Amino acid sequence: MLVEAFVLPKADLGSFVAKLKAGYEVIGPVAKDPEFVFAPIDSAADLRLDYDTTILPPHKKYLAPPKETLMSFSGAAEKTGVPAAAGKQVLFGVHACDVNGMLSLDKVFLGTYPDPYYKTRRENTVIVGLNCTEPCADGFCSSFNTGPGMDSGFDLSLTDLGDKYLVCVGSDAGKALAAGLAPAADADLIAKSKALRASQEKIERHIDTDNLGEFMHQNVENPVWSELKDRCLACGSCTNVCPTCFCFAVKDQVDLTLAAGERPRDWDSCQYLEFSRVAADHIFRPDRAARIKQRLYHKMTYFAQQFDGSPGCVGCGRCATYCIAAIDPVEVMADLRDNPGAEAAVTLYTPPVKKVTPETNPWEPLPAKILAIKQQNYDNKTYTFAFTDPAVQEKYAYVNGVFNEISIFGIGEVPISISSCADVKGSFDHTIRAVGNVTNALDKLQVGDIVGIRGPYGFGWPVEEMKGKNVLVVVGGVGLAPLLGTIKHIANHRDEYGALEILVGARSPKELLFTDEYEELRKIPNSRLLLTVDSTAGVEWGHNVGVVTTLFDKMSSKPDNTIMITCGPDIMMRFAVKGLLGRGWSPEQIYVSLERRMSCGIKKCGNCQIGPIFVCQDGPVFKLADIQGLPEAAL
Amino acid sequence: MANPKVAFFKFSSCAGCLLNVLNIEPVLLDVLGLIDIEHFVMAKRDNHHGPYTVSFVEGAVTTPKELLELKKIREESAILVAMGTCAVTGGVPSIKNWSGKTQDQLTKTVYAENVNDPFLASFPAKGIDYYVKVDAYLRGCTYDLGEFVELVKRTLKGENPLFRTHSVCEECKLKENVCLLVSKGQPCLGSVTAAGCGALCPSLNRQCEGCRGPANDCNAASLAKTFLEDLGLSKDDVVRKFRKYAGNTPEFSKGAEAAL
Repeated sequence: MLVEAFVLPKADLGSFVAKLKAGYEVIGPVAKDPEFVFAPIDSAADLRLDYDTTILPPHKKYLAPPKETLMSFSGAAEKTGVPAAAGKQVLFGVHACDVNGMLSLDKVFLGTYPDPYYKTRRENTVIVGLNCTEPCADGFCSSFNTGPGMDSGFDLSLTDLGDKYLVCVGSDAGKALAAGLAPAADADLIAKSKALRASQEKIERHIDTDNLGEFMHQNVENPVWSELKDRCLACGSCTNVCPTCFCFAVKDQVDLTLAAGERPRDWDSCQYLEFSRVAADHIFRPDRAARIKQRLYHKMTYFAQQFDGSPGCVGCGRCATYCIAAIDPVEVMADLRDNPGAEAAVTLYTPPVKKVTPETNPWEPLPAKILAIKQQNYDNKTYTFAFTDPAVQEKYAYVNGVFNEISIFGIGEVPISISSCADVKGSFDHTIRAVGNVTNALDKLQVGDIVGIRGPYGFGWPVEEMKGKNVLVVVGGVGLAPLLGTIKHIANHRDEYGALEILVGARSPKELLFTDEYEELRKIPNSRLLLTVDSTAGVEWGHNVGVVTTLFDKMSSKPDNTIMITCGPDIMMRFAVKGLLGRGWSPEQIYVSLERRMSCGIKKCGNCQIGPIFVCQDGPVFKLADIQGLPEAAL
Repeated sequence: MANPKVAFFKFSSCAGCLLNVLNIEPVLLDVLGLIDIEHFVMAKRDNHHGPYTVSFVEGAVTTPKELLELKKIREESAILVAMGTCAVTGGVPSIKNWSGKTQDQLTKTVYAENVNDPFLASFPAKGIDYYVKVDAYLRGCTYDLGEFVELVKRTLKGENPLFRTHSVCEECKLKENVCLLVSKGQPCLGSVTAAGCGALCPSLNRQCEGCRGPANDCNAASLAKTFLEDLGLSKDDVVRKFRKYAGNTPEFSKGAEAAL
């Protein structure tokens, strides 16, 4: 027998649960008329194992709770503690869809940069699954092979066989809990298979998963999406009740000392406007249709692309159940299949892999001192930092183009690109415009003040691939900050690279950054520096006037054997890319930084997603060829 | 450093929002230690003129006198906060805007005598940002005390409170409340109303009445359609729902217009 199985007479359920309660908090389905929810139970009498579905998925509620404190603090850089580890708990009676939803969430929280809070809870949680011998009204789990029965993810699984439960063992911990139960007979296992097959046959709702990723990519412009926009209330219920939706927001809270407080995370929803709010109140997904599309694409294809093929939808049906506007993914998908877009060759985006497993809590900023502050222009300053612990600073290494999270407890964190050159050890620079709460607070700090820093994160500029090639750098305004380190790296290793041409554009002369370094840049052998401003704003100006792309007619760079790297406002990068493609450049030789669209930095909070991309982990630097033609235009 | 000077004012409204300030007992003394209250007629005898660091204004503006006062308060205040629904959207006083009567007719109907008293001169009720720049909003009838304290703290720290105005459904779902609309067929406005109240009414088994005004990018027209077609509400009822607290807003206007 492959499966180790026992039987639990229903009459003995009470004593079985009582035994569990001796070592664990037992959480199971209870009635909340006329719905059901998972809640701690006193005894088996509270259990409603006949429940159809619950409002919130139990694994999400108890493993990644709606509100969770990451750490507490007593000052801007003084952490005072992390919350005590959660106690041991049993989730009793979890349906197959949710067990599979949990396995998907495991990929999010236990993958790159494992989340210690989720990890501890997960390790302290026993899953007693409950196979569905009766399908629920709105579920379509069989479409994704995530129900009605479960194959893995449980410590024990129960199957209702009339007067008894078949108890299958899924782990050593489960086996220990089953001690004392009578072994199951082969007939019991056959009865389970029959019951689950019968249940599956009764499921009437299905999503056609044939070639699903490609199909979704062929239907980006399908009129179905704009019809949904008229119905969707943007209330976010679909994401809150979803077993695989994981996005959250982090916002510091202080007490009335205004210095001490906590840094919690709260569930967030891609259906909200504020979800995509970045610096200077820019909202990059303002269209409701785009937000609905982002969610359904994430469920149907992006999640699997991002997390090793794990399902983003487990067919629990909750989003359909709780949608006031009755938007049902089964119907939406059927509508798309009935009126499909043109078939076209599609290459699904696959993220670059850089598995990181830090020894310390990845959420924890380490204290760093401001060594120097330099005013760049009227609203930008360059801060030079070093970690206060010399051993940390010694070990700290980054590549040009990546970023750190700068933390001021009580206000929050911001992801900011590093503006110094990775060749320089002992300190690192950030060039920052005071525009939001954290950057305004930074603006008030002095040399010697301490902030928190965690990082570095992401993939930087392709300094290896550029070797032996010419380099064209196209800069818009503050976009010079993440590019400067690479320019200096090329200068430091001049014989390894070909010609260097730097095009710098800004709205007006007073917006330019690093102007006192231009002379040094001009001295780099075999290089050119071309400047332009949109408007001279009355200042004497001996250079080009016009947007940065007007320099394309004056530059020496040709597509042959050249790599172009660019950073600046979205619209500037869009026109720069378009201008070069029109001049015969290839998407394979163009690299862009999408650095402003980031949040937590460690592929957890979900805010930085553009289509299937996690900007913070897959980028912020991307090769144009990798992101061109994505359903949600990156540029 | 001297404490910030704080003032409280009231226009057309019930005074509940001012009274609510005094309900923060657990932290009242801590808050009072951080600010100097310069003007608060309901709470203290000794009141002073501006300038003020922060002014909280309750009530809709609906008379020429109020409008002049509001402009003076704005001039004297570095930060101006609209406190409560009446100041934010016009609130309950703005129901009169939809009566279909002229101001003259309304005055004669309500005040049969003394209709020529200049004190009765009035115009349609609006939130204060119809007339002056407002720096922060405390939504709700009445607003949430937690949000009030949060705003005080953020203001003292010189930060934007970044209050989020997504829908009440968020807070309701997180409490695992049974959905009054989906499960019980009640015309709850939570899905289009700005959160921040902790889904107070639905948690007490009462429909959301929309007192905090529209949620971000809400789709009131779609909800109006649900009320009419699925729940069988009359057109008048739907229109009244969307005009009870925030009929002045373009978002809720779309709900009312969808039913008309």
